[in-house]
Amino acid sequence: MKKLHAFSLLAISIFAGPPLLRGADTPTITISKSDKLAVAIGNLGGADGAQAAKILQNDLAMSGYFNLVPAASAGFVIGGTSGGASLAGSVTDRAGKTVLSQTFSGTARGKVHAFADEIVETLTGSKGFANTKVAFVASRSGHKEIYVADADGSGVQQLTNDANISVGPRLSPDGRTLVYTGYKSGYADVYEIELGSGARSRIIKFPGTNTGASYSPDGRQLAVILSKDGNPELYTTSAGGGGARRLTRTTGVESTPTWSPDGGELIYSSDDRGTPQLYRIPSGGGTGRLVGTGHSYNTEPNWSPDGKKIAFTVRSGGGFSVAILDLAGGGARIVASGEGPAWGADSRHLIFADGGALILLDAQTGQKTTVVSGFGKISEPTWSR
Amino acid sequence: MKTHHFLPLALAALFALTFTACVNGKKKTGGGGGVEGDFVTGTPLPERQEGVSFLGSNVDRSKFRPVYFSFDSVALDGGERGKIDEVADFLKSGANTLIIAGFTDERGTPEYNRGLGERRAQAVREALISAGADASKIQTVSFGAEMPAASGGGESAWAKNRRAEFGVVR
Repeated sequence: MKKLHAFSLLAISIFAGPPLLRGADTPTITISKSDKLAVAIGNLGGADGAQAAKILQNDLAMSGYFNLVPAASAGFVIGGTSGGASLAGSVTDRAGKTVLSQTFSGTARGKVHAFADEIVETLTGSKGFANTKVAFVASRSGHKEIYVADADGSGVQQLTNDANISVGPRLSPDGRTLVYTGYKSGYADVYEIELGSGARSRIIKFPGTNTGASYSPDGRQLAVILSKDGNPELYTTSAGGGGARRLTRTTGVESTPTWSPDGGELIYSSDDRGTPQLYRIPSGGGTGRLVGTGHSYNTEPNWSPDGKKIAFTVRSGGGFSVAILDLAGGGARIVASGEGPAWGADSRHLIFADGGALILLDAQTGQKTTVVSGFGKISEPTWSR
Repeated sequence: MKTHHFLPLALAALFALTFTACVNGKKKTGGGGGVEGDFVTGTPLPERQEGVSFLGSNVDRSKFRPVYFSFDSVALDGGERGKIDEVADFLKSGANTLIIAGFTDERGTPEYNRGLGERRAQAVREALISAGADASKIQTVSFGAEMPAASGGGESAWAKNRRAEFGVVR
């Protein structure tokens, strides 16, 4: 066992990025329980104040930054009035000084999620993820269909109902649209759904298999895998699917592209050298360079919004694991069994699929929460930012 | 005595090598995926025919036997050659068009499997083209690990699911 560890450490150090970069950045900050901020939900009144308090409590706990305590021992007290489409929220510190006072509008849950994210941002400086959407493939109906939900797993809604094959969903960063691979035509085409109106259109329908579409961070482009030229290759197109531009020229299978936060680069999986490995390529064109992970089967990379790391799926033995690789160096580490990881807006939490569960993982503490289950087998989750 | 045993083996190996090198070519380039390097990786697909797809009622999916593949491989095994020649002869002798559908077993991640299935369909397409079939008559589609031919886990089911099927447009 000890020998095995020593070997994997060695393997990691061999496959890790340029050693010169190592140590240039602190890869993780460990927050122990005592580092969490003590907050209290005080008086949250109004017509749906009690319900709002419950949602808020869950959102704040999920963020990983807070301990919810009685008002007497809290550093910050949250209050407000919630009713109809609005929530007037406030946060006061121990001295009674107001540090946040803002009115949020939206659905009964949406306005609370927006308040939660504002509390996270005000008190920690980090971006919250309560007011974001997740989407995934689930098999409950007997067919693979696309579902969408709030990041806390509430309000699950079935988006496609084609009794066919609908897979590979990717939300736009703003959560307003979603692209996926659908087989309605009998071929694999890329469809776009506008979540507000439900309007759907087929946006990429070249000969062959069109799949793996993924929005750029500004929502204006897609990276996508097309086989029209005689082999699955990586392309970029406009968000509407036009102007396909080929980036790779290999004899292997390219899959699952993910964008850097500035949109300048892509990381994707390719088995051009045998087994699927990760490569990094400028999104405007260039050469794909190997991103060493120390693992032999690497797919489904997802670039964190802070640009520092990727999460991806590795295959080991008979199953899949979620791994995280610090791009500045340091080697990949396995964080959970499961597949298809996607980073949240805070670059701290991941969602991934594990059998019939959609799981939220705090990559800093290792805490796991099942946010969706009971929808059959879940796969290919995606998370708006 | 030794040579007698060895010769057929060597010939078979040589055939397999040549064959996979022609239709597969995988693992040979290692170019890292960049656009630099002017090598062709496949024969572009023709435009789709309106109203025709692999799953449509106007497509005969049982005329030819599926071609099977090894785990995580797109190489055409020598034993599958006869099936491909049959299809090539049929295409050369008539006006029918063909849709090749590629499939995988369940042991990969979904999007990679869609790519692998497409790569299998395209490997069969390239072999048909090499055998003289008209490239403009052959479409491909991949279903990845969806629509398995055999359900359940285990190598006996997986082996049946790693396949390319032929759909003849009537």
